[in-house]
Amino acid sequence: MRHARNNFPENPNSFLHSAELAKHQSNKEDLDFYLGKAQKQFPKLIETWLKSAEYSMHYHDYDSAELFNSEARKLANKNAAPPFIQYAEIAMLKKSWGLALVRWEMVRKKFPKHPSGYDQAAKAAKALGNNNLAKELKLAQEYGPSVLKEPSVNEKPIRHIEKSAALSGFLSLIWLKAILNLKSEVKRSFLSYGWWVLEPLLHMGIYYLVFGFLLNRGGENFSVFLLTGLIPWMWFSKSINNCSTSILEAQNTILQINLPPLIFPLISIVQNTLKQGPILLLLLGFTSLQGFGPNIYWWSLILIFLVQLNITIFFSCLIAAVIPFIRDFIYIVGSGLTFLMFLSGIFYDYRTISEDWHGLFFSNPIAFLLKCYREVLIESSSPDLLVLSYWGLAFIIANFILAFIYQQLRYSYPRIILE
Amino acid sequence: MKPLLSLKEISIRYKKNTPIFQKKKYFEALKSVTLDIFPGETLGIIGRNGAGKSTLLRVISSVIKPDSGEIINNGASVSLLSLQAGFDENLCGRDNTILTGMMHGFTRKEIEEQLEEIILYSELEEFFHEPVRTYSAGMRARLAFSISIIFSPDILLIDEVLAVGDSRFRKKAEMTMIKKLNSQQTIVLVTHSQQQVLRLCDRAILIEHGISIAEGEPEKIIHLYNELVS
Repeated sequence: MRHARNNFPENPNSFLHSAELAKHQSNKEDLDFYLGKAQKQFPKLIETWLKSAEYSMHYHDYDSAELFNSEARKLANKNAAPPFIQYAEIAMLKKSWGLALVRWEMVRKKFPKHPSGYDQAAKAAKALGNNNLAKELKLAQEYGPSVLKEPSVNEKPIRHIEKSAALSGFLSLIWLKAILNLKSEVKRSFLSYGWWVLEPLLHMGIYYLVFGFLLNRGGENFSVFLLTGLIPWMWFSKSINNCSTSILEAQNTILQINLPPLIFPLISIVQNTLKQGPILLLLLGFTSLQGFGPNIYWWSLILIFLVQLNITIFFSCLIAAVIPFIRDFIYIVGSGLTFLMFLSGIFYDYRTISEDWHGLFFSNPIAFLLKCYREVLIESSSPDLLVLSYWGLAFIIANFILAFIYQQLRYSYPRIILE
Repeated sequence: MKPLLSLKEISIRYKKNTPIFQKKKYFEALKSVTLDIFPGETLGIIGRNGAGKSTLLRVISSVIKPDSGEIINNGASVSLLSLQAGFDENLCGRDNTILTGMMHGFTRKEIEEQLEEIILYSELEEFFHEPVRTYSAGMRARLAFSISIIFSPDILLIDEVLAVGDSRFRKKAEMTMIKKLNSQQTIVLVTHSQQQVLRLCDRAILIEHGISIAEGEPEKIIHLYNELVS
């Protein structure tokens, strides 16, 4: 190095490298000497002051470092980032985090593309305990400084779901979901709403062909007789069919959101009931056209309808509750419904069976309901309102018990679905 | 600081599906997880596939009750945001937005008031009125995330949502998260992107084989995780 210094006295590197060497040898005396030389001979050279500051930083002499750095900054032109970075680094070493942040901001302003302005500043912010600023700085490095200027959004106040509001919320959710399901169901088929009417008519056609024509069992007004049994039955059986897997089908939702599982079968029931409404009105129109006009007993249809709704809710929700636990049960539901259909007197009159069996026959509430519908619509007589009320009451109580069981099982379903 | 929610040695075991006459087998999804969620922080949860991260989020959002251990919730509401948000394939984006919002406890009116904002944010434009089954994975992610911009539960759980979608939308989503962070939203983030954890999280927790084995500075935890994987 001595050789270099002697031969190239005009080259600052010979002094600066000598200083570097002295630093590695931990020879502070030599270091100061060479730096002093360089400062005297090359005061207009930015490197001199940068190096001087750097060595002062190395020896924790921050006051000298600040001094040397200020010289370097005075000499710095527009494109020279190092003096300003060093300026901030000194503040970092002094652990003056607030000062460091200000200096890094200066770096960012002058050199928006330089990474230190962000990641080092983030360190300072973190040291100050301002984690959000730290995060913003890191993001600004990636997405540009505009992040820092973005005002934070005025969030609406955090809202808690009130327990009392929850029930009405669930009811409107059930209602809306049922309507939307109907909407998408209609969109998927070519004849859309037409199917609501066509489907029961198709069923009627089949039964008419088999029982009325081939077996010749029909008798007078067989089509009215069939429809008054078939339409209420289809409401019941379709609800059960749609509900049976409703909880399983909602598994994505159940695994995401803590919702009462009872919502899912209820949606299917509301959906089916909304579909049956217009068909029932059509049935009334049809019976009127066939000469079984409106009479005072039609009012009891409201009660019959409500009792059937309760019965439907009970069986549908019961089956929906059981199936996630015993999935094999799905296979039984179909045959069970067929069995019940034959036992409910849809295409035969209950009077054709021996009276000894009537007690047993009407222990099936569906058979009893169909009898009520026909008494009102065909025979223009009053149904047995007392027995009807008993059935209604029994199923209302049963539904409350079922709702309680659902509440108890609330947390079992997400698990059962996962297992 | 008092945590919003604490889990203490939580364990979850699932029954394995076995035919009726065989002995029951169990699968331990979580063995022992202990963690605290503090107000205003962004907590990252890191772990390999099958380490129990999703199960953990389900426990935090109280979809599943643990078999043992204790959950102490100091009155915080929790919402889980995920890509399998349970969209109805046959309904359009708009209807799904309203339904999802209502499932999270908003009224229909509240969501409809913010619908414009959600449409704009999602950038789905006319697709917003098309059935979700016609969406690409990226579009689904966008819809799922956009719905969440109106959420402000006390604790927002995010499961891999930020990972999907094109990089431009991902950046936008991250920016939104940052804004939420500024508004003191508490967030629990599950992601495979180590960069995201480093960028967004204040703290991270490493889950391995259903056990919370380490927690601390994101840098430290990511380092541990990489050691574990290699």
